[in-house]
This record gives sequence, C-alpha cells and structure tokens, in this order.
Amino acid sequence: MSTALVVLLVPVLGAALASLAGARRNLVTLSAVAGTVATFLVALFMPGASAIDVPWLPGLGTSFALDPGGAASVLVVVAALVMIPTALVGSLTVEDKPGRFVAWLLLAQAGLNGIFMARDLLLFYVFWEGTLIPSLLLLGAFGLDKRRAATLKYLAYAVTGSFVMLVTILALKVLSGAATFHLEDLVLAARDLPVTTQAWLFAGLALGMVVKLPLWPLHSWLIDLNEQNHPSGAADVLGTLYKVGGYGFFAWALPVLPLGAERLAPVLIALGAFTAVYGAVIATNQTNLKRLLAYASLSHMGIVAVGIFGLHVAGLNGAIYLLAAQMLSTGGLFLITGMLHARRLSFDVDAYGGLAKSAPMLAAVSLFLIFAFIGVPGLGNFPGEFLSLLGAFQTAPFAAVVATLSVIAAGVYGVNVYQRLFQGAQTTPARDLGPVELYVLVPFVAGVLWLGFSPAPQLDRIEAQSQLAVVQLATVDEPTQADVGAVAAERARGGPPEELALAATEPGPAVEGVR
Amino acid sequence: MSFPPVLDVEWSHLAPALALLVTAIASLLVALFQRDSKLTAAVALLGVGTAFTFNLSTFLAGGAGEASFGLRYLADTPSLAFNFVILVGTVLAILVSYDQLTRLEMDHPEYYPLMLLSALGAMVMAAAGDLITLLLGLEILSLPVYVLSAWRSGARQSEEAGMKYFLLGAFGSAILVYGSALLYGAAGTFVYEGVVAALSQGSVLSLATLGAGLVIAGLSFKAALAPFHQWSPDVYTGAPTTVTTFMSVVVKAGAFAALIRLTATVLPEVAPWLTTALAVSVALTLVVGNLAALVQRGVKRMLAYSAVAHAGYLGLAVLAPAFGGVEAAVWYLTAYTLMNAGAFAVLTLMVDKNDHGDDIERFAGLGHTRPGLAAALTVFLLSLGGIPPLAGFAGKVMVFEAAIAGGFVWLAVIGILTSVVALVYYFRVVAAMYFRRPEYEGPTFRSSATAIAVAAALVGTVLLGILPGWWHDAIRGAAQAAQTALGF
Repeated sequence: MSTALVVLLVPVLGAALASLAGARRNLVTLSAVAGTVATFLVALFMPGASAIDVPWLPGLGTSFALDPGGAASVLVVVAALVMIPTALVGSLTVEDKPGRFVAWLLLAQAGLNGIFMARDLLLFYVFWEGTLIPSLLLLGAFGLDKRRAATLKYLAYAVTGSFVMLVTILALKVLSGAATFHLEDLVLAARDLPVTTQAWLFAGLALGMVVKLPLWPLHSWLIDLNEQNHPSGAADVLGTLYKVGGYGFFAWALPVLPLGAERLAPVLIALGAFTAVYGAVIATNQTNLKRLLAYASLSHMGIVAVGIFGLHVAGLNGAIYLLAAQMLSTGGLFLITGMLHARRLSFDVDAYGGLAKSAPMLAAVSLFLIFAFIGVPGLGNFPGEFLSLLGAFQTAPFAAVVATLSVIAAGVYGVNVYQRLFQGAQTTPARDLGPVELYVLVPFVAGVLWLGFSPAPQLDRIEAQSQLAVVQLATVDEPTQADVGAVAAERARGGPPEELALAATEPGPAVEGVR
Repeated sequence: MSFPPVLDVEWSHLAPALALLVTAIASLLVALFQRDSKLTAAVALLGVGTAFTFNLSTFLAGGAGEASFGLRYLADTPSLAFNFVILVGTVLAILVSYDQLTRLEMDHPEYYPLMLLSALGAMVMAAAGDLITLLLGLEILSLPVYVLSAWRSGARQSEEAGMKYFLLGAFGSAILVYGSALLYGAAGTFVYEGVVAALSQGSVLSLATLGAGLVIAGLSFKAALAPFHQWSPDVYTGAPTTVTTFMSVVVKAGAFAALIRLTATVLPEVAPWLTTALAVSVALTLVVGNLAALVQRGVKRMLAYSAVAHAGYLGLAVLAPAFGGVEAAVWYLTAYTLMNAGAFAVLTLMVDKNDHGDDIERFAGLGHTRPGLAAALTVFLLSLGGIPPLAGFAGKVMVFEAAIAGGFVWLAVIGILTSVVALVYYFRVVAAMYFRRPEYEGPTFRSSATAIAVAAALVGTVLLGILPGWWHDAIRGAAQAAQTALGF
C-alpha cells in the first residue's frame, strides 16, 4: 500500500480505536499515542514516495490523486510530530469522553494530511471541508461556556467561504474546459481564460482561503475559537494545524489562475501586511493568554500572506516554511497555556507572576518557545519569516516594510507576556513541569531546533512544489495599463482606508520579481 | 411518426411494476382474512425483493431504449435506475413502519399494500413516455398516499394532513390534465416523442408552451417546487412519521423522474420563457425551503422544509438534462433517499406514542444518552447538508456541475448560498445532541427493524459518499445509451 494512503488511513484507524476505547482512559491514551506515533513514522517516508492516482468519480473527472512529495512531505511530517503530544494531552486532560475527543482530533489529522497531499481540486475540497466537522465538534462539545456562539460563528464563516469555493471549483472546470479536476489539467486549461474570468474565479477561491488563513477582516472566528476551546489547548493546536488557507493559495490558486493572482495580489498583500500589524498590536493589549496567542498567530498569518502574495519564489517558500514552524511554536505555546490553566484555572495574565522561581523548567521552555514564536534566528520561525519578507521586498517593498513592523511588535508582546507570567513579584508558587508535561513539550523544542538549524532540506522540498506556481506566474503576460487601472479602480471602490493607503503605494505588476 | 398497430408489450420490462401490483393485491386479499400487519409487511418485502430482482436483471441486460405500448412505457436505464431508488425507499419505509404501527395505534394490515401501490405509481411515472401514462402513474402514486397520510384515525393532525393533501393533490392533477389537453391540442398526440416531432415541424407554439407549463406546474405540486410547495410542510408534519418517511423519498422520486423526462424532451421545444420560469421556481424553492427550515423549532417540520429545499437542488439537475442532469438527478435522489429516510427513521424512534416530541430540546444530550443513534443522525444531517465525504456531497457536486454546465450559474450561486443556511439548521440539531446536556430522558423505544433501516441507510450514505463512482458510471452508461436510442 502506498505511503500516501497509509498516512491517510493510520489516523483514521487510531480514531476508530480511540472511539471504541470510550471511557477507558488507558486505552484511549494508548490508541492516541500509537496512532500519532505510527503516523509520524510513516510520514518520515513521504519524501520520495510514489504518488497515487486512481479514478474516484470518473464521470465528473475526479480522481483520488495524492502526492506525498513537495510541501506535503514537510507539512504532514511536522503536523504529525505536533499531534503526538497533542493527542496525548487530549487523552489525559479531557474529563468526560476522552475517547471521543481523541477520535475527532485524529480524524481531523487525517483530513489535514489529505489537504496537503491532494492533487485533485475536488478531492482537496473534500478533505478541506471534511476536516471542518471534527474541529467544529471539538469546539462545541468540549469548549468553555460561550462555545456555542463561537461554534456558530466558526461554522458561518468557514462554510460561507468554502461553499463559495466549491461553486468556484466547479465553475473553474466547466469554464476552462478542463477534462478533469487534476492539478495539471487545470493548470493547462485555465491559463487561457481571460483575465477578468480568472480574477473572478480567483476571488471565489480566495474567499474560502482567506477565511481559513485567516486575514483581517475575516479573522474574528479564530479568536473566539481559540478562546473557547478546551482549556488543555489540545484543540487549539489542531486549529493551528488547520490554517490551510495559505497552503491553498500556494498549491492551487496561484498556479491554476496566475492572471487572477496577479490581479488580486495587491489587495491581498495589503490585507496581509495590515493583518500582520493589526494582530501584533492587538496582541500587546490582551490579558487573556489564549486571545493573546490567537492575535499573535493571526499576525504571523499576515506575514504568510505577505510572503505568498509577493509572488516571488523566496516568499512562497518562506510562507510555507513559516506555516510549518508555526505549527510547532504556536502549538507548544497553546499546550503551555493549558498547563498554566491546570495550575491556576485561569487564562488571565494577571493571575500569574513570578512563576520562574517556583517553576523554573516551565519558565525556561516557555521562554524558548516564545523566542521561537517571535522569530529569533536559529529557531523555527526565523527562516520562514525572513524568506517571506525577503520575497515580498523584491516585489512589494512597502507591504514588506509594514509587515516587518509586526516583527518588532512581536518582540514587545513576547517579552512582555514572559515577564508578566514568570518574573516580577512571586504569586502563590506553582508546581513545575511534571514528567509527562516534560515529555509533551520535548517534541516541540526538538522540532523548533530542527526547523531552525537545518532549513535547507525542507526548503528544497517546498521549492520543488513552488516551482509550478513560479513558472505559471512567469509565463503570463504583463497586465496592460488598462488592467492596472481597473485594479486601482476596484481598490478605490471597495477597500477600507488602511488597506487603500498600503495598496496605493505599491508598484504596479508584482510579478516582475519572478523573472 | 407511426406506431405499431398492435400493442407491443414487452412483459419483462413491466415485470418490476407488475411484481409490486401482484403482491399488493395478494396482500390485500390476505388482509381480508388475517388481520396481521406483520404478515402483510413480510409479503410486501417479498414483493419489493422480487421487483428489485426483475429490475436488476433488466438493468444488467442493458435494457436501454426498450419500450412498450408504442413508446408509452419506457423501460430505459433512467427509469430502471429510478426504480432502484423507489424500491430502496420503499424497503426503508416498510422497515421503519414495522414496529411502529402498533405503537402509534394505527395497526391495519392494508398499510403495506397501499405503500406498494404508491411505489408502483412512482415506477409508472418514471417510465411514462406519454401524458396519459404519466397521469395514471400520478394517480396510482397519490391516492394511496392520501389515505396513508390520514392513517392515524382520530388524530386530528393526521386526518387534516390527509384531507389537505387530497384537496391540493386533486388540484395539481387537474392542472396536469388541463395542460395535457392543451398539449394534445397543439401536437395531436400524447406521446412525448410525438409531441417533440410535431413541435419541431411547427405546430402552435403558444398553445404547446401553455400546455407544457401547466403539466410542469401539475408535477411541481407533487415535487413540492415553490410556489406549489405549501401543502408539503403541513402534510409532512401532520402525517404519521413513518408515512412521512415514505412520502419524502418515494413520492419525490416519482415526481422528479417524470419531471426530468419532460424537461429532456418537451421543454426544449417550447418557448424559452418556460425554462426561465422553471428556473425561477427552482430558485424560489431553494430560498423558501431553506429559510423556512431555519426558523422551525420542531425537527420534523424542519426536515419537511428541508425536503422542499432538496427539491430545489434536484431542480438544478432537472433544468440541465443534456449536461449530465439525468444522472445527477438519479444519483442525488439515491443519496437523498438514503440520508433522508435515515433521518426520518431516527425521528420515528424519538417520537412518543402520540407521534409527538420532535422538539429540538428532545435531542439535547442525545450524544450522551444514545451515542449510536446520535452518531447516525449526525451522519444523515451532515450528508443532507452536503459535507464530504458523505453521499450528499457527491450528489450536490453533480447537480451543481450540471447546472453550471447548463448555463445556470446564477442558480448555482443561489443554491450554494442557501446551502450555508441549510448547514446552519442541520448543524443546530447536531449541536443540540453533542453540545448540550440532556434535558429529557432519552428515548426508550427500540425496534430492531428500524435499527436495520438506520444501519442500512447509514452504510449506504457513507459508502456511496466514499465510492461515488460506480453508481454514477452505471447510470451514466445507461443514460447515454438511452439518449442515443431515443433521442432523449
């Protein structure tokens, strides 16, 4: 059986075992660990493994096409590494029905792996949408008091975006005359579509992906989701893994609709730069740890968008690398908020203080992950952030400058939150990391170091895939002056003031950097 | 176009329908002497099984383009495929009813024969190649359902449902008859093929358009397309839940099978405004069905309005028969039959013995009290909402693809925006089951027959969703063959 299929099925199997285990916590823990470790081990064999492509719904031109190579081989491996401690924490901390919690977590992981590996656009959508349900259920069934409102908001945002994306996907095939939904067919067929059609189709796809990325102003579901999720943070980690919007742009929207991408990139890069600053600034004012992390990671997603919509190869590679690194650093920090909550039953920063004395190990690991999160060189996020901004500087320097400001703000909120939690006057002593908690955090520390010190092999694999987008973007014609004028007019009509200010200063076609 | 002078009857093509007819009559006779509904249920299942076997053998023999009675009764692959859907729906409804008749105090053995007769009518409608056969099918389909809707004698709600259904149904039939007469006036024949031939030679277009419009309006009553849908939420809610299970799938299958044959043959030949009118009606159905379902408190009534909404999705396929709409309609109906009958089957377990108690509060905490039942209902509802990888998703992709290819992009956009609303109301039930604590004691009634129906529908919904290709290929191969044979 091919590696791609195994990577997809092992988490499903783990989910089945966990749900059969029901309330017997030992068995749930066992299936959580076994399922995630097995997935991780299989995922290590993904680079170089063969792709599969079998007819699925031939009448509609859909095939079950999975490619374990390229960016998938990085993202799936990192996600699998993150899932090991996450599932373990879930199985240990969820009071009622841990089996159900772990099962939904693992089902979502299977869906994620599918999203990253799919090479058929309809299949991509199947995984994209299928993954939504377990993450919704995790929030709604295991979240805090206001979880139902948060679930509804999440559902409304996500489904509106993705249903529009579905119609766009169907229209894309019909309008382009492609024989199948296969990536290669779509790339060949859609390049001849007129600019306006491409722009509309791109906008349709972008709606779904921007919601998931997310970018301002479609981000507010994310904050509520993180705030209301189960206090252990395990479900929030899944939310971190499930930010697939950036990947969707990278793997599908850019290569298939290069003209549309070029047309809308100025708007989207402006949104990205604004989101980066907006998220970071708001994060500095938050007192709820989970909201703080949510805004901070929103800010990073802004940088991802800036990297992608710079439409430059370095930025594309960097954005995907940053997505992978984010899984580790944000994931680890969410689990740490869960551990803090287990000690004080509060997410309020003010409930803590001076914990470094009583819990030095917890403080050390937290500081390490915060450093990774805010992009200290040598740790996971740095190569991704650096390349994203570097790529954007080639083509849209103003947006890149603005986004870089968020890195400075990151230093502020990062150091600030560490000080308020761990330094200053000591509050009631808290116990330090227990052995299990320590094991839980080891994969994050190791992963952050791995991605920080040896980015080259991963970047090579990502670049193998970003070449497709780069080549497509390079082969399209320069937009005519009329097109540029039309884009400017569109901006002037719809954009809010901040975005307008950013977009207006950008130089015209952003694709030059690719050549 | 000339027709053979003698009746050309190909008995093997009538066999599935005849099997239902014979068993229905036989079990009616049995019921005279043996007042035991379990017995007639068994006979009915036997009849459905026989019909299924006959249907399968004709289907596998590739009976494309076969016709009896001079193109008046078509046993082509679309109609055979619709027969499968009808029979599956009937089996599920019989299983769901099996333990319920006594519990709901409506235990009369004639229940099952009437159900079979109605399914027979649906099959005749699917096979109808002329307007008279269509009318016959429609009446055979409808009369038993009127009676079944009022089956809980003494329950005012049920009797009212039956009466309302009968009056509005008769009204719909009258419109259909009137339209048939006008079409006959324009074309000089009742046979669709003949009508098409006459219209292409330039007969009275305005008369034919009016006639076709009235026929389609008459069918829209049965199909519950807006603005002819008003009866359906009331009847679906008022009728016994077991009967609603049957109506929501089998009656709908018959109506849409007939409708798509008309849109494939006659509709393109008449004035284009009729197509536009039908498209507007579909759009209206999508909007009204979904928005009305959103504000319902009772799950049964919500599902009734959701059935109206699904008529709208089927309408997308019906509008584009030449662009894969026929296969899409059959496939969608297959998926719809499984998931909708499944959802109603769960509902029959939830209601009390007065057939009440479908408020959403009753579902609160079902994930804790009856995890299996809750999981099954979740799958059915998510599939109805079009979430992959369940059957409803693949069906939705097919109907939307057909509509877009047929040039109805605006309808697809309306359809997808209303689907967001749909997911909200389906998910509300899921949310109640998993996100809330139980407020009432869980349902205590258990029935192994219903459990079998739920399990079968569940397996079908999941498997058809994961492996949608084989059934689509089967009906597509058939539909294409039929198109070449009949100019369909």
